[in-house]
Amino acid sequence: MARTPRQANLQSEIHNLQLGLKSSITIIEGVMSRKNGQKDADPATAYTADIPEEYVLSEEVRWLRTEDLNLFRYIRDAMNKIQVAFVSTYPPTECGIATFTKDLLMSIAKYTPFSRPIVVAVRGAEEIEPYDRSVKQQIYRNDRQSYLNAADFLNASDVDVVNIQHEYGIYGGEDGEYVLDFVARLKKPVAVTLHTVLMEPSKNQKRIMQELGKLTDVLVVMVRTGRQILLDRYGIDPTKVTVIAHGVPNVHRASASVVKRALAIQDRKVISTFGLINRGKGIEYAIEAMAEVKRKYPNVLYLVLGETHPGVRAYEGESYRNHLLDLVAKLDLTHHVRFNNRFLALNELVRYLCATDVYLTPYLNKDQIVSGTLAYALGCGRAIVSTPYLYAEEVLGDGRGVLVDFRSADAIAKSLIELLDNPQVREKYETAAYRYGRRTAWFNVAVDYLDMYRKAQLRREGRTPTKIVPQAREEVGARE
Amino acid sequence: MEMDLQIEVRRQKDVAVIILKGEVDAYTCARLREAMIEAIEDGGANLVVDMKNVEYIDSSGLGTLVGGLKRVSERQGTIAVVCTNPQIRKVFDITGLVKVFPIYGSEDDAVKALDTQGKTVVS
Repeated sequence: MARTPRQANLQSEIHNLQLGLKSSITIIEGVMSRKNGQKDADPATAYTADIPEEYVLSEEVRWLRTEDLNLFRYIRDAMNKIQVAFVSTYPPTECGIATFTKDLLMSIAKYTPFSRPIVVAVRGAEEIEPYDRSVKQQIYRNDRQSYLNAADFLNASDVDVVNIQHEYGIYGGEDGEYVLDFVARLKKPVAVTLHTVLMEPSKNQKRIMQELGKLTDVLVVMVRTGRQILLDRYGIDPTKVTVIAHGVPNVHRASASVVKRALAIQDRKVISTFGLINRGKGIEYAIEAMAEVKRKYPNVLYLVLGETHPGVRAYEGESYRNHLLDLVAKLDLTHHVRFNNRFLALNELVRYLCATDVYLTPYLNKDQIVSGTLAYALGCGRAIVSTPYLYAEEVLGDGRGVLVDFRSADAIAKSLIELLDNPQVREKYETAAYRYGRRTAWFNVAVDYLDMYRKAQLRREGRTPTKIVPQAREEVGARE
Repeated sequence: MEMDLQIEVRRQKDVAVIILKGEVDAYTCARLREAMIEAIEDGGANLVVDMKNVEYIDSSGLGTLVGGLKRVSERQGTIAVVCTNPQIRKVFDITGLVKVFPIYGSEDDAVKALDTQGKTVVS
């Protein structure tokens, strides 16, 4: 319903009051801390590890008052518009790709206040998903017709570019081959973000990737290794492949000791791993390592944050977690390993990460080409120990983390103890990780995606860019 | 916590110049907003925001600039941006805000443009 000028003014005044109140609180906090003889802000009392509510561009533009109508029109006409449709699993579906898609959508929306990104959600027929309003169409994983319907829907819409999130397991058919029906039917520019790039694909998996390469305009991978695999093993056109880093939340760096106090674990040396739990995580090796770490650091605490992956729970229940609990009891680590078996909100997750002395990904699959949890740990500036799966090998290279052998509790324990023994070395890793993480904050990644969408449009129009330059990740490398 | 944004304000002729160093994002933009309001209330209808030494800007930072533009527009003024960092420039290009905020390579060029052209953006 259209607002009257009086309503618009009233809302504007309320908004200004809110902003003023926020500023006043900031100022009062600053004055109080200075009065108490603290420096600019004593982190022990002021730091909450929360990500601040963003005062975004779209908010500012939408809240222009009626007397600012000329300015509003001017900005509206000047700003670029792009309608992006994301095809992916989507929250409340619990999976890393769903979370990734929502984070990306929201980051892009913040830069494009006059556009409304939409989602075509991929789901199982049996799932009941109360999606938010951005979901305009649904693909039922095993219903081949729904792929064609979704393509027809997008073809008839004002969408400028379609961004498919791809992982073989998301889509229906053998190795998710139904996605090819959808892509072949689409008449819009298409970019595909690849969450899995297999070194040793099956014949069918290779065929699907090659078809995606032919039928779409841009393939996005998150590390350079992924790009090289696509070129060498799949023969994908190199001008179609670009590298854009996995986004991370905008977290400003804080001392772990400060945040530990807020969580009442200030006396503990904290190691953590988070994410949806499954057997590929290799957490049993981390737990075995804790037995050794405990000998030197009796106050060590290993936090395993996250619930069992819903897909895993469906076929084996909690048997992996129960196995881990048995191991903890057997090794007498009940006071040293803590499971947090639930979904953590972003701020809560960030708080735990910021309280972490060493973050650990003991994953078992060498081919893993992306890890959102590792990306988040980098964004929070943590010292990291990891097995050398492809993603970790690349992002932790150049002194940004410590790599240890697969399935080696001894190697994990040795590295953890070394880092706990040497705060200065830990600090060095933290700084390097944080620098990398800042460059891959969602607000930077969103700009790279918007740039990439423009190139996808150009390519579809036949104005092929001479070269699609790998972006965020390449710039990271170039600047170091 | 690290110091993420340093702000210095000075005047060149009738133009207030706000020099930024660091990151302009959700954590720091409130301080930029305060600096802009203060500069405007001190009589600066035209502002130059020098972002040569800004490493990152997010949508909060852009929103803060638009908020500042709204305020100076009420006084028939405008905001020019100094930017030499390609990553920051890319943000203005991608959003289209490059058409809203005139961008210059140096503070002197920006001040000169505002001083001679006065209000250039919104009539």
